[in-house]
Order: sequence, then structure tokens, then C-alpha cells
Amino acid sequence: MEQNDVVKIRVVIAAGQFLYRLGIKTIISAIGVEPDLYETNCFKSTKKCLHTTPGADYVVIHDDILPEPRNINLNEIGKLCPCGKILLIGNDPIENCPCANFALNIENQKEMVERFQEFFYEPETTSSCNIKEQLSEREIDVLKAVAHGCSNKEIADKLYISTNTVISHRKNITDKLGIKTIAGLTVYAIMNNIIKPEEVKN
Amino acid sequence: MFSMESNIYVMNKNLPFTAHTKMADVIHMDYRLIPIIGRFGIDYGFGGKTVSEVCEYHSINVWFFLEIVNSYHNQAYFPKKQLQNFSAQLIIQYLCNTHTYYLKTKVPEIEGYIDKMEKNVLEKNVKNIQLLNDFFKEYKTELQNHLEKEEENVFPYIISLERSLEEKIMPVELVERIKKEPIEAYERSHDNVELKLGDLKNLIMRHLPPVFCKALCQKLLTELFRLEADLEDHARIEEKVLIPKVKLLEQKILEACGTE
Repeated sequence: MEQNDVVKIRVVIAAGQFLYRLGIKTIISAIGVEPDLYETNCFKSTKKCLHTTPGADYVVIHDDILPEPRNINLNEIGKLCPCGKILLIGNDPIENCPCANFALNIENQKEMVERFQEFFYEPETTSSCNIKEQLSEREIDVLKAVAHGCSNKEIADKLYISTNTVISHRKNITDKLGIKTIAGLTVYAIMNNIIKPEEVKN
Repeated sequence: MFSMESNIYVMNKNLPFTAHTKMADVIHMDYRLIPIIGRFGIDYGFGGKTVSEVCEYHSINVWFFLEIVNSYHNQAYFPKKQLQNFSAQLIIQYLCNTHTYYLKTKVPEIEGYIDKMEKNVLEKNVKNIQLLNDFFKEYKTELQNHLEKEEENVFPYIISLERSLEEKIMPVELVERIKKEPIEAYERSHDNVELKLGDLKNLIMRHLPPVFCKALCQKLLTELFRLEADLEDHARIEEKVLIPKVKLLEQKILEACGTE
């Protein structure tokens, strides 16, 4: 079963050859990063991939997929992932290269691993992790109604909101609590004194 | 019967578990296989016997056994086509043994942990554990119903398909059922069951106020994860091996009747 909605970083690997991509994956794994991977094997498919999966965090490109002029085409890829970093791997550096990270094909294992480590390095702190898990008052209202066995339509009428809003509240509740079934939400609601056990219809 | 099958079966001898692997080494290499080996009806005390010797002793199809343990051991290795070539009878027998393991071993074990927890937590938490207990009971009922439906309705249907092809007798009722209620119509209702298991894990990990029987709680959680992993493998065999095989059997019968 899929992990419980763990958000993974997104990495695009663009290289013409399968074995090359496999090698890149091996290094990424060896430095301990476990991303969602997207693989592409040509310039066109890379652009398409970045277009359809916005928010790529890292793009590793082998320059064999870059048509001439390489710096301009690389720039084009950069524009497609404004928030992402790009690592370019090739035989020699590109003139006027718009990309800050570069690795050479001739580099040995140790050097290559270092390149990737630098590329993927982001400082982590423990202090500022305050992800909101508290339910809002509105969400508590919706949860209460769900636990009482109301349908989305009934909840919408009761709270004077649209059915779509109910659905979006329910999605947020599930995301925050990690509980998907009505029975599970009901247990949560009773545990936290949001409803009383005797209020639950069977 | 199975000796014929075993003569023609070709398997990659570079897989981690082969007919010549010592049975004890199978478990040494992957202890998660303990329940899998158990549900084949194999007892301990293998001595130095190999997989094929132990299987022969217990009249187990060694190739089927090997494909099952190899694929359970390595998620990425799943020889669909080979597995589909085993008789439906054999696959179903394995699935039924798995059902028994869930209902007779795994579920009571989990219930036991929850019951014990109820007796060992502080009073203000008793209510919460009772809620979990009820939740799990509900889950258990759903699981039971699902498995029963398979054993009483779906599996016998599959067996009769296979038998009918072997004996070359096509009863009218069977052909009718293929037309009216093919295996395709049998929607897996596993989904909700799986969701509930996920919810239970999160209720315990994220929402249950701290309990003072941590060891019990850890065991409970571990068993829930194990049950989930086993159910996933079970579902994989049903969906990717059994159902496609049944579709093929249905088609063959319809063709044989000339009604395709």
C-alpha cells in the first residue's frame, strides 16, 4: 500500500540511454535521497514532462539530450522549472552555461557522488516544523456531521455551504488526520470528544 | 500429477531460493517467509533437507512453492505468466490457506493485543481502546465476509470452470454464468478493508493518547503492518494471476461451446 501521503521531492532524470539513467538513480539512492522519479530520454519528452508535472525540485540532465545551441535549449528547460535546480552532466562545460551545477563524465565514483551530494544538499532545521494538524472550527463541524452519518448533501444543507465545499473540507480533514473511512473518522471524533458515542447511528 | 508438472517446469537457478536450497536457509535468508512456509503445511525439524525434499515429503508442488516464496521475498520479482500456468485448483488452495491464516491466526492475535491493552491502560484511556476494539471488530467482520464470499461463491465457480475444461463437459448453467456473471463482474471489495487497516494504524500512531503499555502497543502496530503486507501480496496473486487466468478459462469454454 502506498505510504501515508508522504510528500516526496520530485526529480526528473533526462538522459538518452537507459543505463545512464539507471546509474544516476543508483547515485541518488546511495546518497540517501528517495524521490519520486520521472525519467525522460530526449529533449522533447523532457520539456513535456516538466510541463505536465510542474514543481520538479531537481532536474538531472545528461547533455546528450540537448540539441544545439545547448545553452539556449538548457535555458528553455530552466524556464520550465522555475523553482527547481538543474544539474548538467556532460563531457565538457557548455559555453555561457545558464546552469550552476555541472558534473563531468570523466569524474570517478567519489567525485560524482560528491557532485550529487552538493547538488541535493539542503540545510534542515528542526525548529520551524510546525505543520498545521489542528482542525479548523468549520472542519470540526463537518467532521461532526460525517460521524453522525450525514451525506455530503445533508452536511451542505445543514451548514449552508455547497457540496463542493463539503468535499474539500472532508479532503482536508482526511489529509490532516490520516484517516479515510467514515468509521475511522467516527472513532477519532469520539476519542476527541467531538461527538458522544451514543450519538452515533448504527 | 504434479510430477509431470515438475518435469517440465523451467526455473532460473540464479533466484535466491531454488529446489536445492536448504529449507532452513530459506528462513535464515528471509524470516518474513515463516508464515508463508507455515501455510503450506510445512513443519519444522527440516534437518538439512532441501526445499524439494521437504516439498516432496509434504506433497507440495515445489515449483509453485518456489515461485510464491521468491515473489514474496522480492517485491520486484513477480512471474505472472509462470504463476498463471499452475492449476487454478493449486492457486486457490494456497489462497484458502492464506484466508485461514488471517482468520485463525493473525486476526485473533491482533484482537488479543487489543484486549490486553484494554486491561492495561489507565482508566481514562479504556474508552479509547474500546473504540479501537469495536473498530477492529467491524474490520474483522468485513474481512470475514469478503473471504467467505470468495470461498463460497467465487472459488467454486473457478474450480468448476477448470474441471469442465478438463472433462470436456460444459454444463448449461456454467455457460450461463459465464455470460451473466463473469469474473469481471466480481469487483474486489478489498479496498475498503485496506483503508480501514490504514486508518487503524493512524488512529494508534497519531491520535491515541499515550498508553502505559508501550510494548503491547508496539506489538499491535507491528502485527497490523504485517497483516497489511500479507494482504497486499494476497491481493496481487488474486488480481494479477488468478483473475486473468479465469478470464482465459471463461473464454476457452465459450469458444468450445461455439458461442463466442
